[in-house]
Amino acid sequence: MTATHIQDDMFTPDVIADPYTYYGRIRDEDPVHWNEKYAMWAVTRYDDLTWLTRHHELFSSAVFKNDPRPPYPDINESDLGLYEYIKNYQADQFIQHDRPEHLEMRRVLHGFFTPRSMEAWRPFVRAAVKDLLDAAEEKGEMDVMRDLATPLPVLVIAEMMGVPPAERQYIRHLAEKLLYIGRGEYDRMKPLAEGMRGMVDYVSPLVDERIVNPGDDFISVLANGEKKGIFTRHEVLVNTSLLLLAGHETTINLICNGALSFLRHQDQWELLKQDPAGLAKPATEECLRYDSPVKSIQRIAAQDVEMRGKVLRKDDRIRWFISSANRDPVAFPDPEKFDITRHPNQHVAFGSGVHHCLGATLARVEGQEVFKALAERFPRLQAEAADLEYQPSITFRSLKSLPVTWH
Amino acid sequence: MARKLRVWVDHQACVGNAMCESIATRTFRLNENRQSEAFDPGGDSLETILEAAENCPVSAIFVEDAETGERLFP
Repeated sequence: MTATHIQDDMFTPDVIADPYTYYGRIRDEDPVHWNEKYAMWAVTRYDDLTWLTRHHELFSSAVFKNDPRPPYPDINESDLGLYEYIKNYQADQFIQHDRPEHLEMRRVLHGFFTPRSMEAWRPFVRAAVKDLLDAAEEKGEMDVMRDLATPLPVLVIAEMMGVPPAERQYIRHLAEKLLYIGRGEYDRMKPLAEGMRGMVDYVSPLVDERIVNPGDDFISVLANGEKKGIFTRHEVLVNTSLLLLAGHETTINLICNGALSFLRHQDQWELLKQDPAGLAKPATEECLRYDSPVKSIQRIAAQDVEMRGKVLRKDDRIRWFISSANRDPVAFPDPEKFDITRHPNQHVAFGSGVHHCLGATLARVEGQEVFKALAERFPRLQAEAADLEYQPSITFRSLKSLPVTWH
Repeated sequence: MARKLRVWVDHQACVGNAMCESIATRTFRLNENRQSEAFDPGGDSLETILEAAENCPVSAIFVEDAETGERLFP
């Protein structure tokens, strides 16, 4: 089957509004697709995605270190210097490493995020959800994005980091600049670099302090990695910033996209309301699958590899699409149906293999507590606006706002 | 004598994160689908196997006493 008619601009308004039709078509017609415009491979089928992510020796995660080309989409030529700074910053993130360094770095952080240790945060998450919903109820209206999805994960990750509550707004301000990483604007390097420099400046004194006075917070865990000689100081700063960002941006999208899925599928909302405590877990998994917070992740070929009859050459750029794999009919019967009782539900919203999301359990706990509380407290929840807008990102599936009523 | 263990991995849950293999190196190994198998349940100490089970990011590892059937993890 030929696929010459697939247009390769992944930032057009219709692809941003509905990635499922566009990436679904690539998945059906040309599953390992050479995107001419950005000179990269799009890998879109569920089986290929799990195979690729579990063969980390063939597909390097050190994308920034191994890729000498300028970024895609194009940027202003005058910003190439900024891109060098951004590359060096990104390259120090532990997720941008391959084994054996990746394993050594991940093991410093891993113990903090085990299912058991994250479960211990559930009461904190539940109380935080209650406070936010109390405030919304008092006001009589809510923008799920502004009033619930954004503040909750920022509050939780800030608490884990031992960051003062008053500084959460500033963290969010920096995080919004860092989100330009997945965007296509020509001038996106400037806010990105500002966000990165701002994060490094912000966390630097915190790290200085935790090196001397370690606590049970997350920055102390990273600082301990420096003491053991596993992280350099720059790596501690960059990874603290990474976890501040990764620890909340994705969960924001889980909460907002999940809430929207319920608003658009009244039958599933009715079902959840019958047993919020019992269905919160499978419902959260289905929200993760149906409208995944992260759309795509990058790799770079470590050697020549053949996939579906195509030869991917060493150093070729690759992007694998969670948005299409999670709707692959080979892996999920009736994949376009939002079904909170779906079982099994082996979605790849958190990726797979050695780079499987470190914060997956935390995201799950937050999602479960939110959907349960919404169903218990706002049984008549309704979307207020019909036209919803998404951020023009290739990486994140992010709504701009989601106003709701319940009267 | 060391306790005999029954250790298994739920392949519906396993994502091939391989943290178990890096902790209990003699007990777990990834198969051709890059999912974990407990190929030698006596390969490491109980403590090490429990550490591997605890560190599985998707709680896919189960540990039992092979003789009494007592559940040791989770």
